[in-house]
Order: sequence, then structure tokens, then C-alpha cells
Amino acid sequence: MSLNEEVIGVICKTLDVEPEEIKEDEKLYDSIGVDSTEMVEVVVSLNKHFGIKIETNEVTKFSTPRDIVEVVGKKKLS
Amino acid sequence: MKERIAITGLGVVSPCGLKKETFWANLKRAESYIDEISRFDTSLYPSRIAGQVHDLDCYTHLSGRLIKKIDVFSHMALVCSQQALADASLELDEVDKKRVGVFMGNALGGWLFAETELRDMYLEGREGISPYMASAWFPAAPQGQITIYYGFQGYSKTVVADKASSALAIWYGSKTLKENKNDFVLAGGMEAPVTPYALLCVNTRGGLSKNNLNPRGAYRPYDLYRDGFVVGEGSGIVVMEKESHAEKRGADIYGFIRGVGFSCDGYHYSRYSPDTASLEYAIESCLEDASWRKENIDYICLDGEATVMGDYLEAKALKKVFGGRMKDISLSAPKSMFGNLLGAQTSLDLILTILSMKNSTVLPTINYEGRDPYADLNCTPNTCLSRNIDKSLIMARGRGGINVVLAVENS
Repeated sequence: MSLNEEVIGVICKTLDVEPEEIKEDEKLYDSIGVDSTEMVEVVVSLNKHFGIKIETNEVTKFSTPRDIVEVVGKKKLS
Repeated sequence: MKERIAITGLGVVSPCGLKKETFWANLKRAESYIDEISRFDTSLYPSRIAGQVHDLDCYTHLSGRLIKKIDVFSHMALVCSQQALADASLELDEVDKKRVGVFMGNALGGWLFAETELRDMYLEGREGISPYMASAWFPAAPQGQITIYYGFQGYSKTVVADKASSALAIWYGSKTLKENKNDFVLAGGMEAPVTPYALLCVNTRGGLSKNNLNPRGAYRPYDLYRDGFVVGEGSGIVVMEKESHAEKRGADIYGFIRGVGFSCDGYHYSRYSPDTASLEYAIESCLEDASWRKENIDYICLDGEATVMGDYLEAKALKKVFGGRMKDISLSAPKSMFGNLLGAQTSLDLILTILSMKNSTVLPTINYEGRDPYADLNCTPNTCLSRNIDKSLIMARGRGGINVVLAVENS
């Protein structure tokens, strides 16, 4: 499974949405109308799943899945 | 004559039905819907029986994404408000949402969500707790969820006043209509006491029946062998508007809120005052607010706490106010069938009273076997009674004597 698929899988599982509902280059706020509290939940899930430490201001409701994959990739390397 | 506040929509999520039609059909059977609690281990609880809502998921219209953010008491209130709005035939696109208010009653808060999240916080630390915890557990959460779900922006409040919570919420909502602050009001309550911690709280509160071996016979208001009430979970919500407003839009009117009376015993933090003057004052002031005479009353929906003192004091106050006219009034505590929903109870009492008026039927108090000379009321024992009902009172008593009486009139 690619990192891209893995991140999208965590986002979808956390928010209870289908992968088809989100688009790689569309802000999550625009595609599925996430709120900031949902994004806190997404950050906590990503941190748990990948064993990393993303701060809540690094990933926001205005991030796209591609932005989030990039942040996760960097954190995994650091 | 004061403008009447009309009730134009009913929503029910109860242990004996999740729609007004099922609720009424089941109540007429005069059977108990109280069972042993099997969702979690209750073996060490003194009272381990309740009226429970088992099939909420079958009736829900909410997405999984929303359900995971809210406690079950908000879920029940959202399902219930959907029913009430549909029943009132409200075209939400045509309504001025700045003039729709939501008034809810609740006593305990949403503990199923809170208990599990707090456990995770202690086990996993700060990141173990859901970010929704802060907005899911507190008593005003369902009011907030309803307003967010429908985009209602009118003047809204939640009332926490033990078993009188929803009675006060209904009054508060009707007041905003009279004062022209809102065009529509959703009013009622919701309660979810069947969780490990909430059930512990209500057990500690006291007054619960410990007749665990006979759940269906446990809640027996006014019976000689009563030993307390049984809790129930659920929600009741009504849509209210001014009579002229309802007529203008051609809405069907179920009935009217005509008056309210309230008082506090000012005696003890949990016990009722042995002197019933305060409760009598609430009844008298309700009659005065409605401009009704004592001989006009057809039916009284009793608080029926089923404790030795609770029923004795309610009977004493009613006899003092109504005297010889008591024989002409039908009285009952239909909640004996499904449990006392605490902060949501009066909303269901209001709905069942309206349905009783519409169907010319007095619902019974079940499990009545022996007369208590100290709490001797003709509480319509065990079977329904046919009777035309035009004017009714609904009694609500919170812990320590928060007394609320509502006057309801048939349409």
C-alpha cells in the first residue's frame, strides 16, 4: 500500500467517509466540509497510526490530502 | 383573552415506541415496557431495571460521521426533532430560521460518551480523548446539535431542573412565543440514564425501585406496595407556535399550552417539604394563569414518583386544592408503563396527555393492586377509561421540590 493510500485510509476511517468523497488536490473543507475539531481527530489518528508527532497547526481543514501526505512523509523521515 | 400557544407537531423516542402512533398503540395496551438492563454488568447496582430504547439505529436518519461525534442523548433528540418537524408539516426552506428556537430539558448529561472517553484519557493520556468530548457530554449539547443540524438561530435555552427540566423548557419556549421572540419553538427533553456511571448517579440519588426480580411490576405509583420509581431513557419533543400563526399556515393543532404554575419547596436539597403549601401554590397559580376554574379540570397527569412520601404529598396537595371535586377528575401516571425519563419526562407526559385528549381515553396507572390509605387517589388503575378530556393538568416535581404544573387544553 502506498503512503498516499494509507493516509487517505486513515482520514476516511477517522471521519467515517468513503475514499471517493475526497480528492487528492481538494481541501478537505471543500470536499467533505470538515470542521477544525474533526481535523484534531485526524491528526491524532495519523500520529497513532504512523507513530509520528504532527502538531495540530501543521494539518488544518484547509489542507488537501496531498498536503497531508507530504507532512506525514517528512515526519516519518525525521 | 390571551393568545393561545398551539402544539402542532409531536416527536417520540420512548421505551414503548419510537413514533407517536406506536407510542399510543402500546400505551393503550396498559402493559409494562420495563426490563432488566443487559447492556453492561449491573449486578452491583441496587436498581438494575429500566425502560430502554433498543432500536434507535433502525429509526435514525443521521450519518455515521455525525453519530460518532455525539452522545446517544443528542442522537435521540435529533431523531425526535425530525419526527416533530415532519409531523408539524414545516417547510424548512420557507421558515425564517432566526425565529426558530429550541428549548430542551435534561437532568444528567451525556455520559456514555463521557465515560468511555475519560477512561481513554486516563489510559492513553491527552491524545486518547476524542476532541468531541467537550461538545458531546453537557446537558445543552442536544439543543446545540438540533440548532446546528437545521440551522435554527432563534432564541434557545436548555433547562436543568431534575424531573421538572422539560416542563420548564416547554414553559420557557412558550414564553418566547408569547413575547414574539420566536415564530416556532421545538420544546421537550431527552435523557439517557442507562449507562454505567449515569445509572450509578440515579441510584445514589435515591427513590428508585429495587424490585429487580419483577421488572414489569416494579413501577407502581400510588399502590400500597410501591418502593420507588424506575428510570427510563428517551426523548419527547413538540413543535409550538402561536394559534394565529398555526391557523395562518393551515397547520393541524393538537392542543394548547394554556398556563403554568411553579414553586420551590425551599426546604431541603433532596427531600420534599412535608408541608404541601408550595406544591398547592404551583397548582393554584397554574389554574390562575390559565384562567380555569377547579371544576373545569377533566384530567391530571400525575408525577407519580411511587415513593412513600412522593405520592403521599402529591395526593395531599391535590386533595387540598380540589377538595370534593377530586371525584370528578380522572388521574393517572401512565409513566408507570415505561419509566420516568427524568429531565425528559414532562415532554412525554405532555404528548401522552395530548394523545389522550385526541382519543378520548384516560391511560391507566399500571401495577395497582392495593389501596394506600395515606395516598388514596383514584389513579385509573390498570385499564384505560373512555372519557372526553378538554382540560388537563400535568404535574412535575424535581428533587427537593422544584414544582411545575402545566395546563393543557384540547384543540
